[in-house]
Amino acid sequence: MTQMARSTPRRLDAFTLASEPGNERLALARVAGTVRGLGLSQARLERLKTAVAEATMNAIEHGNGNRPEIPVEVEVTQNGEEIVVAISDQGGENNTGFGQGEGTRDGQGEGIRDGRGDGAGNHEEPDLARKLDGEQSPRGWGLFLIRNMVDAMHVTTDGQRHTIWLTMRTGGAAHDERM
Amino acid sequence: MTSACEAATRVLPGAAVIELSGEVDGSAATVLTTAYEQAVSADPGPRTVVLDFAAVDYINSTGIALIVSVLARARAERRKVVACGLSPHYREIFDITRLSDFIELFPDLDRAVSQLTPPAA
Repeated sequence: MTQMARSTPRRLDAFTLASEPGNERLALARVAGTVRGLGLSQARLERLKTAVAEATMNAIEHGNGNRPEIPVEVEVTQNGEEIVVAISDQGGENNTGFGQGEGTRDGQGEGIRDGRGDGAGNHEEPDLARKLDGEQSPRGWGLFLIRNMVDAMHVTTDGQRHTIWLTMRTGGAAHDERM
Repeated sequence: MTSACEAATRVLPGAAVIELSGEVDGSAATVLTTAYEQAVSADPGPRTVVLDFAAVDYINSTGIALIVSVLARARAERRKVVACGLSPHYREIFDITRLSDFIELFPDLDRAVSQLTPPAA
């Protein structure tokens, strides 16, 4: 009997979306349907859905400037116990300020452009107390939510192509089962 | 932008309830602001505003920002904000954003109201 090597990535789905506000809901629904049955608990599936929606919204608004003719590309792959969702736009690295980097659930890392930082790739950590005192904008939660929803994230840029990679493990990731 | 969020407001003794339904995202700004203004328009205005999320199926980061704005305004007016009906997922998001440090959470509207309104004489 032939067995697949566990390290071979397997593409589960790939699709594009017009860059129109609200289409992030289409992305989260389709990704949820794709990964359902792969071993994510309901709680972790909900987290992945939120991360996909936030990353797609970022790509639509700040990567592609809400221009419907420029698609957001979404690819879902499985590599062993890891589900990886890659969300790409054409904003490049010179758009509204972001770099490449990584983030994890421990709150470390940066790298996503969401247009809510300081315009130089430095995203201020949201602080609710400061927001309530008017010292920070009420906005700026997108990257924070993504980082806290998935097991890992990182951002790459290749010319104009900007991609955020969201990783969620299907097994043994009980460390963050907080509900 | 057309909103997929709706809000119904009702006033109880000492508290006003805003029952939200649909999607709390950027398009909900006008709906939420109008509902809050209706909720506190009574004289005297309520000391507590209850946000009921039981019929809400989606909240995104922009929706979180709207909730922060409502909370900031209520605090400036010396009103308390409580929430009920959140799904486990959005309850977690209220925890990680620390909204639950400033907004007391109840499982459902009945339990929120029973804690907030004086018993009938």
